[in-house]
Amino acid sequence: MLRLKNINKRLGNFAISGISLEIPEGEYYVLLGRSGSGKTQLLELIAGLSIPDAGEIWINNQDVTRKKIQNRQVGLVFQDYAIFPNMTVFGNIAYPLHSRKLKRHDIDLKVKNIAEEMNISNLLDRFTHNLSGGELQRVALARTLVNSPKLLLLDEPLASIDASLRDDIKRTLRRLNRNGLTIIHVTHDYREAVSLAARIGVIHNGHIIQEGPPNEVFSKPVNKFVARYAGIRNFFRVRFRRDGDCWKALCEGGPVFRISGNNFPEKGLMILKSDDIKISNNEPSAGSDNRFNGVVREISPSENGMEVTIDAGEIFYVDLPVCDFKSLQIRESSNIWITFPKEAVIALPGSG
Amino acid sequence: MKNNLFSWILLILSSLVLLFILAPLAGMFINTGSTEFIETVKDKEVQESIWLTLWVSFAATFIFAFAAIPLAWLLARKNFPLKGVVQGIIDLPVVLPHTAAGIAVLGFISRDGFLGKTADALGLSLINNPAGIALAMAFVSVPFLINSARDGFASVPERLEKAALTLGASRSRVFFTISLPLAWRSIMTGFVMMFARGMSEFGAVVIVAYHPMIAPVLIYERFSSFGLKYARPASVLFIIVALAVFILLRLISLKKKEIYISPDAEA
Repeated sequence: MLRLKNINKRLGNFAISGISLEIPEGEYYVLLGRSGSGKTQLLELIAGLSIPDAGEIWINNQDVTRKKIQNRQVGLVFQDYAIFPNMTVFGNIAYPLHSRKLKRHDIDLKVKNIAEEMNISNLLDRFTHNLSGGELQRVALARTLVNSPKLLLLDEPLASIDASLRDDIKRTLRRLNRNGLTIIHVTHDYREAVSLAARIGVIHNGHIIQEGPPNEVFSKPVNKFVARYAGIRNFFRVRFRRDGDCWKALCEGGPVFRISGNNFPEKGLMILKSDDIKISNNEPSAGSDNRFNGVVREISPSENGMEVTIDAGEIFYVDLPVCDFKSLQIRESSNIWITFPKEAVIALPGSG
Repeated sequence: MKNNLFSWILLILSSLVLLFILAPLAGMFINTGSTEFIETVKDKEVQESIWLTLWVSFAATFIFAFAAIPLAWLLARKNFPLKGVVQGIIDLPVVLPHTAAGIAVLGFISRDGFLGKTADALGLSLINNPAGIALAMAFVSVPFLINSARDGFASVPERLEKAALTLGASRSRVFFTISLPLAWRSIMTGFVMMFARGMSEFGAVVIVAYHPMIAPVLIYERFSSFGLKYARPASVLFIIVALAVFILLRLISLKKKEIYISPDAEA
């Protein structure tokens, strides 16, 4: 469906470089990256709003690199929607149809159909300045979809919408994708990516640094940047040592981790997901792969309950559901035990 | 106490500036007798000169808008070599002494100048002709239209134009359906400013065309030939007409539905 071959584009001090991508028809692909990472610029290149300095863009087996925007059959929904304030909702949706010089009757019919599909029929006669974020997003989607694009590009489509309306828009996007529309969705929010994507590409400084299904990207991040995106906060700079048949990782702060796998380099970075760490007030059995005694330094509310910061030579961040937190009666400065299996400790190959 | 004193100083200084503007105008109105004023209103020469001033200035503004508005869009949207120089050239007529501007225009439209030669070949003399007056008026006033329209186009979020392009619109359709309507208010302000500035021009016009007489030249002529008493009623009448036209144009331009551009959309 979409093939990017070694796309390069310089924009002032910033450059998109060496981006190659292949997105099959009907896929929901999420491009994940921080602001300024080049994700919007990449969308604009695909849409034809700018031309790459080098590389090729193929859509449906056609080289469209230098093709006019109007002939690419690509729809782009901008962050903050870019709704035309000088037109009604009807005028906005009909805009691309007027560009195609369709007959008035056909325009009316198409606008009404798409408005019904997007659940905005009641807004057609209204001007847009007092519509809500969710309504504006639906108008922007309707305006793009009425043109029957083969590829839908979404730039941070949920960023300016109230949390209560996000699920609604997500459902709409999933439905469009189920009906066969290929979607490239740009976001900075990994939860949004996980909830929608069939495949994720993490973009950083103009490069795609990791690509794959969401569970694979977030369970095996290639470097610290991707790991941080997955919400991982436990990072340890370690030296690897062979100990008989096993491997150990020696943290700079003192703790020694028993780890699974083999053939590690001399030095590296290891990560540990906070929900893989177990906490207990009593000393765990000696059979645990990794067990450390530490002091609770800080307790703060987190998205999933409470986050406990423990100093056990290295700082460990542990997320606990509120019920577990209450039953353990954890207090700041109290002594506590942490355990985790050796399989939970992940080496980041790209971050040595 | 200190704040109070500061407020008083501000109030007094502001009042003095307003008084400075209003006092001469009020004095002129007060010192113009109704009989003289009515006679001036009936004076064919005065009527013709005011009419000439209005239509020539409007025509100059209208005709030059066709080229000035696209130039304003280019300045707002495109980066090109020597853009700063181009911007400086556009502002040049504003800083030139207007008599010098008149001399420059005269050189251009006289029989030795490029435009003058071309017009001459078509059997038209631009000197002492409304066409020449229009050129002189446009020369000194077109920067007001270009700059205001440029600011208007610059305030239109570029993403709206990009969105229109991705929706299949041609560049010209984007210009006429998105850029122009959204910058309309600033364009109209520039239009009114250019028209008003052209209408009040004396220095450049008097060098290009003493006759036919536009209102500022007529007022000067009455003053230099007959004195203040005779120049005053014509000035009052011209000010009233100019103000009426100015207010009318502002009302027409403001009547167009106000378009709300979301601050988000400009992000």
